[in-house]
Amino acid sequence: MRITFVKKIKLDGSFCKKCNEVQQKMDDAGQMEMIDEVLIADERDPSSPGMELASLYNVEQAPFFLVERDGEAPVIYTVYFKFVKEVLNQKTQEADELKEILNDNPDLDFL
Amino acid sequence: MAENLASTNQVSTVDLDQKLSSQTPQEVLTYALNEFDNIAISFSGAEDVVLIDMAYKIAPEKVQVFSLDTGRLHAETYRYIEKVRNHYNIDIDVVYPESEAVNKLVREKGLFSFYQDDHKECCSIRKIGPLRRKLLTVDAWITGQRRDQSPGTRAAIPVIQDDKAFARPGDSLTKFNPLANLSSQEVWDYIRSNDVPYNELHDQGFISIGCEPCTRPTGPGQHEREGRWWWEEATLKECGLHDVNIKK
Repeated sequence: MRITFVKKIKLDGSFCKKCNEVQQKMDDAGQMEMIDEVLIADERDPSSPGMELASLYNVEQAPFFLVERDGEAPVIYTVYFKFVKEVLNQKTQEADELKEILNDNPDLDFL
Repeated sequence: MAENLASTNQVSTVDLDQKLSSQTPQEVLTYALNEFDNIAISFSGAEDVVLIDMAYKIAPEKVQVFSLDTGRLHAETYRYIEKVRNHYNIDIDVVYPESEAVNKLVREKGLFSFYQDDHKECCSIRKIGPLRRKLLTVDAWITGQRRDQSPGTRAAIPVIQDDKAFARPGDSLTKFNPLANLSSQEVWDYIRSNDVPYNELHDQGFISIGCEPCTRPTGPGQHEREGRWWWEEATLKECGLHDVNIKK
């Protein structure tokens, strides 16, 4: 299994807030050891590796994780806690996961 | 065909979106209902009733509807859900939040914590949790989300999308937004011209209808979003990747 972690740099040159928060959580939990590669999606540079990957898989949110397993189609995770639970097989709090989903998809609160 | 689409990758979903975006909501619904057997319409008790009306006219035997009962809806909305159930003679799967999660929230923060914090904690427990439970049981779902409901967010709502957030582990979930390109006016034109039953709250000035404590009528010229969570400062979504910067 190969895991790629994609972080975003915004137009003003700073990392997106959630990218920093996820990076911090991963550092604290020792999860960065599981990451094979970190790519940057630089909004100022469409040809940056992370932007290319986002384009390839039509990912519209950052950060995201690309999980590649032998003989299987690559899987994209845009929800950090879902990634932690399903790929890293670590326990998560449902409340955290649900809040992250809503934060990333504010239109859902119209349902 | 359902299996083929269910296993399709994101790229082909994007191709499909380009194709379906130029089609009418009825054509999109026809496509969705033909492609998926296990597909459900999310009904909020508002003007998204047009989805039920359209689907009922296309394939009444395939209409599967669910509603999220947060426990805080207006009495009018409960009456309306029942009215729709009877009008179309359909089952509506009313989905509820986990009582333990609601108990914990209320015990720790009271019944109106969203006025002090923001609505997201409450919404995630009362709405997103049950929504996820429901979506784990289907292969595709249909929403009444429209682009004109949320002009503040950068991401355009596609007609069809690969729903990564709610997909079962190792599986895919397809989300259809047949009304994405419709305006509020066009939705209401449909409701009136087809005599579709609507929530009586609309006659009281409500445009967008959600939970009772978090919804209010709006005045002339106000956007419907101003009728929801009005005490919160509008913020722009930050984590979207600018479409213009992604090479197609």
